Amino acid sequence: MTNYILKRLGQGLLTVFLTVSTVFILIRLAPGDPAVSYAGPLATTEQLAKVREQFGLDRPVLEQYWIFLQQLFTGNLGTSYSFQAPALQVVAERMPYTLTLATASILLTAVVAIPLGVWMSRRPDTKSEFGVNVLTIAGQSMPDFWTGIMLLTGFAVLIPIFPASGFATWGGLVLPTVTIAILQIALISRMVRREMTTNFAAPYLTVARSRGIRNSILTWRYAMGNSAIPVFTALGTRFAAMLNGVVVVEVVFAWPGVGSLIVRALETRDYPLIQATVLLTALLAVGVQLVIDLAYPLLDPRVRLGKAAAA
Amino acid sequence: MNAHTDAGHTDSGHKEQALLEVRDFQVELITDAGIIRAVDSVSFSIHRGETVTIIGESGSGKSTTAMGILRLLPEDLAVLSGSVKIDGVDVIAEPKAIEKVRGKTLALIPQDPMTALSPVHSIGSQLSEAIRIAGAASTDKGAVQARAIRLLEQVHIPTPEKQLKKYPHQLSGGMLQRVLIAIALASEPQLLVADEPTSALDVTVQGGILDLLLELQEQRGIGILMITHDLGVARLISDRIHVMKDGSFVESGDVQQIVDHPATEYTRDLLAAVPVLGPWDETPGLPATTTTPDAALTNTGARHE
Repeated sequence: MTNYILKRLGQGLLTVFLTVSTVFILIRLAPGDPAVSYAGPLATTEQLAKVREQFGLDRPVLEQYWIFLQQLFTGNLGTSYSFQAPALQVVAERMPYTLTLATASILLTAVVAIPLGVWMSRRPDTKSEFGVNVLTIAGQSMPDFWTGIMLLTGFAVLIPIFPASGFATWGGLVLPTVTIAILQIALISRMVRREMTTNFAAPYLTVARSRGIRNSILTWRYAMGNSAIPVFTALGTRFAAMLNGVVVVEVVFAWPGVGSLIVRALETRDYPLIQATVLLTALLAVGVQLVIDLAYPLLDPRVRLGKAAAA
Repeated sequence: MNAHTDAGHTDSGHKEQALLEVRDFQVELITDAGIIRAVDSVSFSIHRGETVTIIGESGSGKSTTAMGILRLLPEDLAVLSGSVKIDGVDVIAEPKAIEKVRGKTLALIPQDPMTALSPVHSIGSQLSEAIRIAGAASTDKGAVQARAIRLLEQVHIPTPEKQLKKYPHQLSGGMLQRVLIAIALASEPQLLVADEPTSALDVTVQGGILDLLLELQEQRGIGILMITHDLGVARLISDRIHVMKDGSFVESGDVQQIVDHPATEYTRDLLAAVPVLGPWDETPGLPATTTTPDAALTNTGARHE
């Protein structure tokens, strides 16, 4: 088990390293000049050259990469051009906001999508199930910026219940969370229904029914117990993805998280900030993925006790 | 085992109420291709201590009959009619009544033990659940555990305390079928429906499971509805046989009579499908006339070559 964890940790760190390295090279290959963003459109050639020298951008890319690596191992990711502060610190200050939004969104998703999926699986081919089915397809199809703007118009402008932007009060959490959750609920509830339907048709469930086990127990203990693994995996993966910054939603609601930060960093070609954001979110995503993998054995005895079939 | 079998035996010969009384039972399945009558007006009955076998090819409707009696077919896809009285209660006329007999007077032994238990719940938890539903033992944890161990002992599972903690994937098919029989016995049922209980098992294990069923029947006088395509199984444990084809019985009668003097071509084909009867021939209690079917088998077999 310790071996397994070490192996997975090693793989995870390698993934993070390769991701950051790729991003390092790609942003330098992409068009756009940090010096122009920093010094402004009216800067002279001399001024631009000075800025480039200051940021170390006048050196060859490989040399820049070598310096980046040396600093990386000392925990220094450079100074953000636009914030004039350590890049890592800038990202770390934004991280709690994204974590809060992601956690709230995934909790809302789980609390709504699981019962909804179970409910749909229990009433196949009824009018109400059809209605909910159509709603989930709609939820899946609506782009989140549109959902976000609709919610803003509805519940911040027309009926001003919630703040339109920022995170000054807990109320500010509601609209972005709902915006993210609508899509996730649509996806996860359909997955729950599919898993539950498969398990309702499984032989073990029919045999359990023949033992006089109540429907509620068949549903929650048996069918849900067996659907838990894929559903838990999906929720975990989506959570990890949200930590990379729920970019569009954060921008729509001016949420002070990592997603809106990365947009600004990309706009200004703030290389150290981009690298720091990618590093931190990749680390978190890999960490969450590891936790999911380690939770498998708890959910599935076949993983915990090995697949060795008795003869 | 043939104690209940006599040449003049008829269903109405019994004075006591039948455990299972099936009359004009029909199952219509709603499929994309239209309505299919999978079971067409079958009638039979089972009394205490009797084993009645429905034998037929795949698709003959034998398993559908069993599942229909237990009302385990999907409600929206299967239309049941006729009458099925379990211990005097008609579960076709009163669909709710089935819930009172499942896991109480009636138990199912499924076709494939490998897929018949929830893979993420331990043997012990699934057995304990059945014990609690049966309501026989007190709900005290120790009492339930003791009863679980006793049930596993009754189906001859070695070191029962250890098996309780195991999960289905850790046991062999034969062991799982014993566990499923133990679960079925938790409620002290009077009627067992065994839906091809040995067809998914190794031949060497099959005999042990059939012996166990016979032993339990002898001890407790349980009635058994056996579904099988295997005439070897049928002749070993049945009192009466109903031969099923395309949803209806083409031949019914005493086990000896069917094996020795099959009336229809279909039954003769089923007999011919048994390649070698092997050591089960020597099972004590089988009639000494086994040479006749053997000869019949060779003849029919030769004809098909």
